[in-house]
Amino acid sequence: MTAAAAAPAVEAVGLQKRFGSLHAVDGIDLALSPGRIYGLLGPNGSGKTTLIRLLTGLARASSGEARILGTKMPSRKALASIGYMPQAEAIYPELSVGENLGFFARLEGHADRAAIDRVLDLVELKERKGTPALELSGGMRRRLSLACTLVHEPRVLFLDEPTVGVDPALRVQFWTHFRNLAAQGTTILVASHVMDEADRCDELLFVRDGKVIGRGTGAELRASAGTDSLEAAFLVLSGLDAQGNPIRQPGATGDTGTGPMGGGGPMAGGGRPGAVL
Amino acid sequence: MSTSRILAIARRIAQGFRRDERTLGLMFVVPLVVTALLGWVLQDTKDTVVDVVLVNEAGAVGDRIVTALTDAAAKPGSDIAISATVETEDEAVAKIRDGSGDIGIVIPADLLADVQAGNRPTLTVISEGTDPAAEVGRFGTLQAALADIAGQLTPPGVTPPIIPKVERKTVYLSPDASQVDVLAPIFLGFFGYFFVFLLTGISFLRERIGGTLERLLATPVTRFEIVTGYSLGFGTFATIQVIVLTLFILNSIAVPSFGPIAGYSTPAFSIGLGVDSAGSPLLAFAVALLLSLGAVNLGIFLSTFARTELQVIQFIPLVIVPQALLSGILWPIERLPDVLQGIAHILPLTYAVEGLREVMLKGADLTSTVVQTDLTVLAGIALFFVVLASGTIKREVA
Repeated sequence: MTAAAAAPAVEAVGLQKRFGSLHAVDGIDLALSPGRIYGLLGPNGSGKTTLIRLLTGLARASSGEARILGTKMPSRKALASIGYMPQAEAIYPELSVGENLGFFARLEGHADRAAIDRVLDLVELKERKGTPALELSGGMRRRLSLACTLVHEPRVLFLDEPTVGVDPALRVQFWTHFRNLAAQGTTILVASHVMDEADRCDELLFVRDGKVIGRGTGAELRASAGTDSLEAAFLVLSGLDAQGNPIRQPGATGDTGTGPMGGGGPMAGGGRPGAVL
Repeated sequence: MSTSRILAIARRIAQGFRRDERTLGLMFVVPLVVTALLGWVLQDTKDTVVDVVLVNEAGAVGDRIVTALTDAAAKPGSDIAISATVETEDEAVAKIRDGSGDIGIVIPADLLADVQAGNRPTLTVISEGTDPAAEVGRFGTLQAALADIAGQLTPPGVTPPIIPKVERKTVYLSPDASQVDVLAPIFLGFFGYFFVFLLTGISFLRERIGGTLERLLATPVTRFEIVTGYSLGFGTFATIQVIVLTLFILNSIAVPSFGPIAGYSTPAFSIGLGVDSAGSPLLAFAVALLLSLGAVNLGIFLSTFARTELQVIQFIPLVIVPQALLSGILWPIERLPDVLQGIAHILPLTYAVEGLREVMLKGADLTSTVVQTDLTVLAGIALFFVVLASGTIKREVA
């Protein structure tokens, strides 16, 4: 991997978010290149959602800063180029599928019928356009939620666990579409705690306790951890053994070159030799 | 039947309570607060001085009564004050209209003739007629004055004393206006406020907990746009509500007796209250609408402090009940204890009730300073809540 020539679409420098004594995001640096899909992986409570909220400007950083397409967040102007799919369904149950989409499209300043039909096709809800969201199944509501995120054709997409409750066939379609969007230059950050989607990403960020504990492609992360699966790689990079028990592994540092990095130990100690990629 | 299952359910409820301080507060603290407030209002209701305008149509005979009443009113501790003595009923009515008198007492020209003929003379008592709660108190206070008059009429040593008859007249409405006529304007304000507050509160709470607010804030929308949009959206429905309620209050459609209900009465019944609005329904509508706008934004603001719909409903005893007690619906504000009067003057419903009474009962229009003040204050309160509501919608929420 080479450093992208284009300016990063999403940047974070020393991003920190503290809630009292809890460091939800504890000094994260990022530079996400346009047209790539990034996977944000980590257990529940590892800081994925808070990181996304900092990047979208929905939360204010305790220190450090986030930039989207070169604009320092929070910025209302930059939001027009951002699509954010929150973990919650975040749709209006009493409105129909079409009305929900119309509403979010208008807020984004895209009252374009064709765009609405396009996303309806994508999430296969065209026949349900007049159905109140209330009457949709859980998976359909998830699809509607995604459609609401995509309707204004954003250049940067933040998807917080987008495929929860979506059946496997449609999940494949989602990913095909994400890939198409990326090919058109959209930068996508997908948060998940399911590792089986990770290999579809161009690059992964392992997050634990508000810190990035590893980054690289799936293969690179497995290789650096010496494991066969990403789950195991995650545990090893967290300083745990394959069963999730703590192990002492002094000196496990990453490097800042092209390779993946590990290194729970030193980073947890406060030094950050490999924290920046 | 299993006792252990019953106990398990009861225990589950107790456990839920333990974690929900708000509901515990509602059950134990709020009733105390409301009861204390009610007790305070009832116990410490002030006897305010009644300003009496005397109309002396009886000349020299009347002068004696006027002097006696003026002397009585001047005694320390007297609950009445003679604010003016005039010669015609019209002058007294004018004084009540402009607020310089509460009650007029007319000493009739034929007083002496009546007494000499051995008849009971008739005194006419003139009041506003728009606020029964206030007037009941004033009439109570007036008893002493009427007794003084009786004393003046009865020659020394004569028993039984000559007790004058009292005839009521009102400046506004008719003396026998029903409670409905007087309370109808208040319904208009109160229900509008109550339902709009409740609906917006719950609706906005759902935005907050359902994640749609977060999604909204991830678009370029501004807080002001959200608050204004909400005000417009709910304002539209508040408008329709006020229109429907106004029509119902002002009109009465008689339903003729027919079919199975025939033969009881004609008409069988009527739909609507048929209250006469003295003033412009449009102006009354403006008052109610400004009140609703405040309610929309109060709902948005208070939704911050609730996590469930139940918790929004729990605001009712705190937000709605004190307003019902203090805004002059049940007790005139000037008779409330001083501290509560202060509170009453910051409650939007106080100004809406006053404004609606002025317009619908007294026929005040935009030239009335009272109506101007009420509209201005209501607009100010609405604006205050708009700012407050905007303040609770934060892009950087944490």
